[in-house]
Amino acid sequence: MMTNNPGKELQNLKNQVGMTVALISFGMMFATLFLGYFLVRSNSSTWPPVEIANLPTLLPFLSTLVMALSSFTYFKLEKEVTYRKHFWFATMALGLAFLVLQWELWGALNASGILASNGHVPSMIYAFTWLHSAHIVMGLMTLMWLGHFIFRKPEAVTELKLMNVGKFWHFLGVVWLLMYLMLFVL
Amino acid sequence: MAFVEQHIHDAPTSFWSKYLFSFDHKVIGKQFLWFGIFWLLMGGLMALLIRWTLAYPGVPFPIIGHLLFPHSDGVVPPDTYAMLFTMHGTIMIFFAITPILIGAFGNFCIPLLIGARDMIFPTLNMLSFWFSMASGVVLLASLALPLGAAAGGWTSYPTLSTNLGQPGAGQTMWLISLFLFGVSSTMGAVNYITTVITLRAPGMDYFKMPLTVWGLFLTSILNAIFVPVLGAGLLLLTFDRVFGTTFFLAGAAATSGKGDPVLFQHVFWIFGHPEVYILILPAWGITSDLLSFFSRKPAFGYKMTALSLTTITVLSTVVYGHHMYTTQMSPLLTQSFMTLTMLISIPSAIFFANWLGTLWKGSIRFTSPMLFSLGVVFVFGLGGLTGLYLASTSIDLYLHDTYFVVGHFHYTMAASVLLGGFAGIYFWMPKMFGRMMDERLAKIHFWCTMIPLNGIFTGMMVVGYAGMHRRLYNPFIYEFLQRLIPINIFITMSAIAMGLAQFIFLYNFFKTIFGKNIPAASSNPWEVGTLEWELPSPAPHYNFKEIPVVKSGPHEFGNPNLKGDRDFQYQTEELVKV
Ligand code: HEM
Ligand SMILES: [Cu+2]
Repeated sequence: MMTNNPGKELQNLKNQVGMTVALISFGMMFATLFLGYFLVRSNSSTWPPVEIANLPTLLPFLSTLVMALSSFTYFKLEKEVTYRKHFWFATMALGLAFLVLQWELWGALNASGILASNGHVPSMIYAFTWLHSAHIVMGLMTLMWLGHFIFRKPEAVTELKLMNVGKFWHFLGVVWLLMYLMLFVL
Repeated sequence: MAFVEQHIHDAPTSFWSKYLFSFDHKVIGKQFLWFGIFWLLMGGLMALLIRWTLAYPGVPFPIIGHLLFPHSDGVVPPDTYAMLFTMHGTIMIFFAITPILIGAFGNFCIPLLIGARDMIFPTLNMLSFWFSMASGVVLLASLALPLGAAAGGWTSYPTLSTNLGQPGAGQTMWLISLFLFGVSSTMGAVNYITTVITLRAPGMDYFKMPLTVWGLFLTSILNAIFVPVLGAGLLLLTFDRVFGTTFFLAGAAATSGKGDPVLFQHVFWIFGHPEVYILILPAWGITSDLLSFFSRKPAFGYKMTALSLTTITVLSTVVYGHHMYTTQMSPLLTQSFMTLTMLISIPSAIFFANWLGTLWKGSIRFTSPMLFSLGVVFVFGLGGLTGLYLASTSIDLYLHDTYFVVGHFHYTMAASVLLGGFAGIYFWMPKMFGRMMDERLAKIHFWCTMIPLNGIFTGMMVVGYAGMHRRLYNPFIYEFLQRLIPINIFITMSAIAMGLAQFIFLYNFFKTIFGKNIPAASSNPWEVGTLEWELPSPAPHYNFKEIPVVKSGPHEFGNPNLKGDRDFQYQTEELVKV
């Protein structure tokens, strides 16, 4: 595995390993939630159960759209060096929009009488989205950190920073997609 | 070979950067050591309070009883008893064993033993310690609450741990504390794994790493994967308590919707079984190395030992159901878990036989680390064998939740890990603090620990087999258990003896570190060949001025061309050819 510039190559490798292991840890946390979901679902005779008969559909769909777009703008941010600042703004804005949509979703659930205390299926909807949104907040903080370099020290924006922040952001997108499918579609 | 060379940083100068917010893995290791020893004392005191109650129900605890429980005339009250066994378990597992074995030895040993200058992410390492500290503070604070700390057992099963079973903030603080602890463990795990993958010195491939590093590495992998599982369970339980969700509420505890309390048991044990291996793997690793060092011959079947440990790590992820035989799982599941659990005995027997093979015909030096390692061999043998009884469903239906289980896990977890930890402390003391501990006191400490320890835990198995259940405030209200009072008194006496013996250790430890006129240790007092012993004692802050190029395994003793204490992993290339 020797290359012409082993120092840099391996420096990258080390941080890739770190982020990958960290994502496995984050992934296991969400996997546990999903495991609970599958157990509950395989034990219930009807789906969707009555507690969540009239779930809102538009808001989660919009959230999914926004999340997908933000992954796209991040992708552009990585590639397009000249428009990097624009795409950084776009990604931040979409991330914040996602949080607003989640807030609206909780309100809508409440309005249609689906409360966290109605049993474990509604509990799941709330807890999963709470935890995911908490991670989105963390994701936005890493984006701010990246933004600090993009605006103040462009020379310090390494491929590695871009990649690691991106890995985390795309990971959250995938988790949301799974949640969307499990809770609102299937 | 993935290898990154770190730069040598300047030595820190101020008190803060040197001792408190240090980035140096050796300092962080020592911080974890102090942290762990503090909690070990707390947990030990609680153990004695529990034991006293079981031997002399209704009798005031001697000397400090009136101070601790002024409202009940010095007697441990029933609700406090539940709090004590909960806190004892939590503290020993998460705040004593984990910081000492994983926090202290993990930090101290990994970089030194693989030939690195530090952990790969020093800042993360420091954060990991301070997260542990925060979680410790939260737990300690919960002891001062008016309704008391958590009392639902270290497993915190609902409904015991829901608002119905546990009003008050104690259980919630327990959950928060453990969540913070989990964050700290996960940070540590990411760091350790990445360090072992990328910072091994040139030539140090996986099968040349000391077994200590193997143990810590496998532990970290389990930590990275399974601690987040517990994290999820803790969060959901917290939501149940604070935000009114109903994941684990059923029956009278659920006001409107219904959940499933057994779900928590699944989540807990998916984490919990790997957790017991998380704790024991470092101790196994240390023991495997020390047995070889002090038998003065290579570890027998080194590669097989490493592979058995790996196999156990993999298998440990799929046996958790053996903690839940009595929850009415389908018989098919029960039988599968039983078979898988029994399978673990195969790799366990392999490395155990390898330990004996290492000792066989060695020229054994009975130093204190060696005595403690031999202690591990003995107590782990007993603990592992009793696991097989529990693994078989039909026997476990009777033994579940009796003191037999308590005996089993104290032999495997408490005794093995404690003895392994002491072995490590005596062994690495010169490299950590630059001084040798008093060997004579250390040996007295060993015997005064080892003999009562077996009295305690064998005693527990006997009363358990006779039917005494765990977690009862006063078992002797049942007539058939009254005949067990003498054995319980014997257990308690042994526990007091073992507790007192630890003062020998404390005296020795503090005298060595802070005492005057203690001679400095030489660089390689034990005459072993792993990389850390090439460095002066204590190791300088940058560890290695030049990163060594490793040529051989960690225990290649007996190269006739080299002197006893100058036989390091990077010199003995001649031996590899033989
Ligand atoms: C050698 C193979 C082992 C087998 C077959 C085994 C089997 C078992 C079984 C079946 C139980 C459940 C008993 C019950 O609750 O009814 C159990 C409990 C336990 N074991 Fe093991 N075990 C083994 C090794 C270990 C090791 C190495 C450790 C720790 C380092 C350990 C720690 C524990 C703990 C902590 C519990 C009880 C937890 C609780 O209920 O509070 N075991 N073991
Ligand atoms: Cu187990």
